[in-house]
Amino acid sequence: MLTMQNVSKVYTTEKVQTHALRDFNLEVNEGEFIAVTGPSGSGKTTFLNIAGMLETYSSGQYLLDGIDIGRLSDNQRADLRNQKIGFIFQGFNLIPDLNIFENVEVPLRYRGIKSAERKARVMECLEQVGLGSRLKHLPQQLSGGQQQRVAIARALAGRPRFLLADEPTGNLDSLMARQVMELLEKINQEGATIIMVTHDPELARRAPRNIQVVDGQIADFSLYQKQLAGTEPAVAEV
Amino acid sequence: MLAHYLDLSVRSFKRTPMTTLLMIIAIALGIGVTMTSLSVYHMMSMDPMPHKSSKLFHPQLNTRDQGVNWWTQDDLPHQLTYIDAKNLYQADIPALKTPSVKTGYSVHLNDDQIKPFMETVRLIDNDFFTMFDMRFIYGGPWSDESDNSGELVTVISAELNDILFGGENSVGKQVFFDKVAFRIVGVFDDFDYHVKFYDLTNGAFNQNEQVFIPFSLIEPLEVNNWGNTNGWKYEDIRSFQDKLNSELVWLQFWVQLDSPEEVTSYKNFLTNYLTEQATLGRFERQDVHFDLKNVMQWLDYNNVVTEDNRVVVGLSFLFLAVCVANIVGLLLGKFLKRVPEVGVRRALGASKRQVFMQHLVEVSLLGLIGGTLGIAIAQLGLWGVRSTYSYYDALATMDLSMFLAAPLIAILACIIAGLYPAWLVCNTNPAYCLKTQ
Repeated sequence: MLTMQNVSKVYTTEKVQTHALRDFNLEVNEGEFIAVTGPSGSGKTTFLNIAGMLETYSSGQYLLDGIDIGRLSDNQRADLRNQKIGFIFQGFNLIPDLNIFENVEVPLRYRGIKSAERKARVMECLEQVGLGSRLKHLPQQLSGGQQQRVAIARALAGRPRFLLADEPTGNLDSLMARQVMELLEKINQEGATIIMVTHDPELARRAPRNIQVVDGQIADFSLYQKQLAGTEPAVAEV
Repeated sequence: MLAHYLDLSVRSFKRTPMTTLLMIIAIALGIGVTMTSLSVYHMMSMDPMPHKSSKLFHPQLNTRDQGVNWWTQDDLPHQLTYIDAKNLYQADIPALKTPSVKTGYSVHLNDDQIKPFMETVRLIDNDFFTMFDMRFIYGGPWSDESDNSGELVTVISAELNDILFGGENSVGKQVFFDKVAFRIVGVFDDFDYHVKFYDLTNGAFNQNEQVFIPFSLIEPLEVNNWGNTNGWKYEDIRSFQDKLNSELVWLQFWVQLDSPEEVTSYKNFLTNYLTEQATLGRFERQDVHFDLKNVMQWLDYNNVVTEDNRVVVGLSFLFLAVCVANIVGLLLGKFLKRVPEVGVRRALGASKRQVFMQHLVEVSLLGLIGGTLGIAIAQLGLWGVRSTYSYYDALATMDLSMFLAAPLIAILACIIAGLYPAWLVCNTNPAYCLKTQ
């Protein structure tokens, strides 16, 4: 479903080259729930951005549902992103001028869905996250947990096959974080494939599959633990 | 999507009201100044009779000795001698044609109700009314018989009719020009020609005449012209008859030629006429020199729109460019502040083109509002021009095309101002945009 083969991302400035991802290999199957962990600066977010086609990669191959992403134009990537991918961000990233209903409606507008269907889908998604009665509220009138649920509803509205979540609970207290995690698990059980970047070991443990990213590569978990303990310096590919 | 973009634009305006207001004021001022000068220029340069201007011709004849130069670019006088005007008028050419000359009289009703006042009067053939599409509200043109017999008849304007007769039907009534009584045969609807193209000798934008009388009265009434009279040699002119027989140029002449064949035929006629006049010993020339200019050529030839007018329009567009430059700065600040939101939209599936269009719709709406306000400012400017120079009364106005052009120019200016900021925003890496959120 999602395949990355030897994907690398290099940021080049006048003086220095930074390898955010090196020969990154990953295969994700339909319906998986994957937690991506790793230290800050290890390349987790870069991986997520490339997976979500928000960034291009320097080399390698990335196939999404068999489509070679490297061959697509910017507009084609935007279209594919709109059709197949939903994003959930740590900072919620709701548009402050739009009320809850309108925020959830945004991806559907870009897909060109007609008004009646848009309304039905938005209502369905907001009901799903328990916010069906807050349609006219602006984001700033909601708590952090509620805002993240709106963001999840927005990600779900386009009925994506992939949900990419970047620290979805990072700005929430533990109770809210648990609620959001339960919601993501429910969505996964309903068929969506979820890739979640997190620093929270507890949340990572709840995901059926864990991968760790270190220095732009996927690391062996046990090895990673040893590295953290300072007893093993090497980084090995899985 | 357009409705959505418009909705987003309105929200954007509300979010940054001061910046929006500044931009609207900038574009409104730019459009106000530009449309003021452009409207005057447009009225000056527009075709006064688009349906007929290519069929009405003013002949120019060179009836001077060889080697005597005129001051015009083509060495031809602007006007005709009485001899030529009369000969062309009486020529057996099957075309509408009229000599024309301006004079003036004291107008009154020979009673104590209306105080006499001076009014310019034009002597013409009755073909003039047909050639220049004059509309009558009472009566009509005088007859050919009146033209031939020199009958004391007149056609007056609706405006003059209001003054003299309170707007009532005055056909058949008498009006006095100096001491001579004329019978009114028609009252014409006010001229709507902004440029007095049929006689440019005393200014292209002076008021059109309110009174017309038959050209055939020129001799019996010994009518002297109120206009330019030019000569090229010494002539001992002591009487009116001397003037009529002289080589002084002081009359205009118009002929309507409806087809290229008629134009060719008329040119042949003029060639023969000038050859004949030279043979008669009126002047000594080896060549036959004349020209036949239609209305637009005539306006161009007479520099109705001067270089100064063009410079003023150019300067006003420069002012608009300065306004646009200011708007570019304001838009850059406004749009770049929106980069995080754009990142979210891009992540949610918006293409670069959609983001670009959203921003262009916003600047277009800005242009529409600014352009509409600019029309009001332009009206103020045109009112100022009219108040300062009555000469511009008919020119300092906006016609429908200018009313429509104002918002279009404003929208175009704002789109130009918005292109770079919108391009910058839509090309920002969405991942970077999200990092700045």
